[in-house]
Amino acid sequence: MWAIQFRNELLKLVARKRTYIGFGVFLFVEAVVLGLFALSGTTEAFGLLLTKNGLELADGYTGLTLAGGIVYITVAMLGALYMTLVSGDMVAKEVEDGTMRMILSRPVSRLRVIAIKAAVCVVHTFALVFFIGLTSLLAGALYRGGLGNLVVFAPHEGVFAILPPGEGLRRYLLSLFFIGLTCQTISALGLMFSCFRMRPATATILALSVFSVDFILRTIPYFNAFRGYFLTHHIDCWIHIFEPFVPWGRMAESLLLLAGLTISFWVIGAAGFCSRDLKA
Amino acid sequence: MISLQGLTKRFGRRAAVCAVSLEVPRGVIYGLLGHNGAGKSTTIGMLLGQIIPDEGRALIDGQDVAVARQRALAKVGAIYETPAFYDYLSGRSNLRVLSEYTGPVEPRRIDEVVRLVGLQDRIDDRVATYSHGMRQRLAFAQALLPQPEMLLLDEPGEGLDPEGIHELRELILGLNRESGLTILLSSHLLSEIQQLCSHVAILREGHLLFAGDWRDVKVREDRVRIQATPRRDAEQGLVQAGLVADFDDDGCGCLAPSASAATVARWLVEHGFQIHAIAPADRTLESFYLETTRGDAGPATGRS
Repeated sequence: MWAIQFRNELLKLVARKRTYIGFGVFLFVEAVVLGLFALSGTTEAFGLLLTKNGLELADGYTGLTLAGGIVYITVAMLGALYMTLVSGDMVAKEVEDGTMRMILSRPVSRLRVIAIKAAVCVVHTFALVFFIGLTSLLAGALYRGGLGNLVVFAPHEGVFAILPPGEGLRRYLLSLFFIGLTCQTISALGLMFSCFRMRPATATILALSVFSVDFILRTIPYFNAFRGYFLTHHIDCWIHIFEPFVPWGRMAESLLLLAGLTISFWVIGAAGFCSRDLKA
Repeated sequence: MISLQGLTKRFGRRAAVCAVSLEVPRGVIYGLLGHNGAGKSTTIGMLLGQIIPDEGRALIDGQDVAVARQRALAKVGAIYETPAFYDYLSGRSNLRVLSEYTGPVEPRRIDEVVRLVGLQDRIDDRVATYSHGMRQRLAFAQALLPQPEMLLLDEPGEGLDPEGIHELRELILGLNRESGLTILLSSHLLSEIQQLCSHVAILREGHLLFAGDWRDVKVREDRVRIQATPRRDAEQGLVQAGLVADFDDDGCGCLAPSASAATVARWLVEHGFQIHAIAPADRTLESFYLETTRGDAGPATGRS
């Protein structure tokens, strides 16, 4: 029955028009970012960065590099918004619409309902990230006529890497997996709020607020000593996959912490949902 | 089959249901009556495990809903509060999605139930295009899909047109008669409940005032129907003369302790009224309900 109920939950998600808003917006933003990369000023600045590192513009201004840039910018700008938009809706929207009452008139446990919804959130988050990643790859490849090297420059995280085409593509795809994995925490945060008595928009706004405040505090130089305590610092651990020697230990530490938080958010959400009254 | 034992629920300081104890035997159609806010939906909500009681227990087939909700609801179909569906899915997809929370469902069974509620022509349309009555029928179909032995129906006739109400009544009676379904339903439509239910429970402000077969409660012998013309003058005159306590809209009233049908007839003749009938009043569920909830009579002690 788990498989059937999971399939039905996915059906509910894919049948809703609003699910596709996120995908549509990402396509639009990808096009805008690509357009900005194509502007002469941007190209010159990028060329200067490459020259300083002993490379020609043609070596680094490639389809793969553009794809990486598009992913990094669009996920940072809108990823959390669209992940929490879906996960914040997951329970609260069904309660608001009254369909949760219909579900719970059946002999199904609340825990099972939440578990299935959490699984769908996981799938949605991965689907969204891979959609952004693969469409960006396509856009970059079409614009530059191929993939080429991958240049990654993330000064805040201390990452600067130039990877050859094959290795670059492998790391790029691996980064998509790790972005999807780390973003599960944001998605779980939205789901947790959604389980409590509040409107879907409130759940989304609360989750986004936590994420945004964490991100802003982390970027303030005074708090550099406490970076390890910020959620977004660990969420961005995927960027280290581009380092010549991947710091697996450091990444594992962040991933374990995020896994702990994600599970905690699920458990708190489920506990809240299981102990509340459902009444119009 | 259903047993409520001292069931209590408070929302903040307000007690929605106060120590309600009730037994619903197998195979009956049991009506749950009460004003708005009397606690009917809260009681059904607690039976479905959607509202967590503060005190007491709700048992279905001996299973405590709070402890073993899945086992307790295994043979239950329900409509709880206003039915809601996924508007962007078809009626058929809604039935499949909802019923598969219980278990796999055969397409043939869906067709069977859809025919039963008369939705076969629109079942593959999106629910967004359905009227209120069609949603109500769809809600009834989803309640019947798992082949339940018991139905819990919260205001099932709400929003239906007279034809729809008639069909629903026939359906409920048929299910009870042919399949022996136990049905607990709440409604504001007293005439419907009267035609459907042998037993009723009456709630007021969360308190159970009566539970059982309302027709077993002895009709008050002093309650009579008086038909005389001109009607208003006759009724006013009898009240002013102290022979009848008060009249309801149906022309029924309670005789004063010192009065009898004969003294009323004599008074009417002496004062020039034309008498058509003076007879013991028939009890309707409405009159019984009003007597019980207004507390002006004594039937509120019955228990099944």
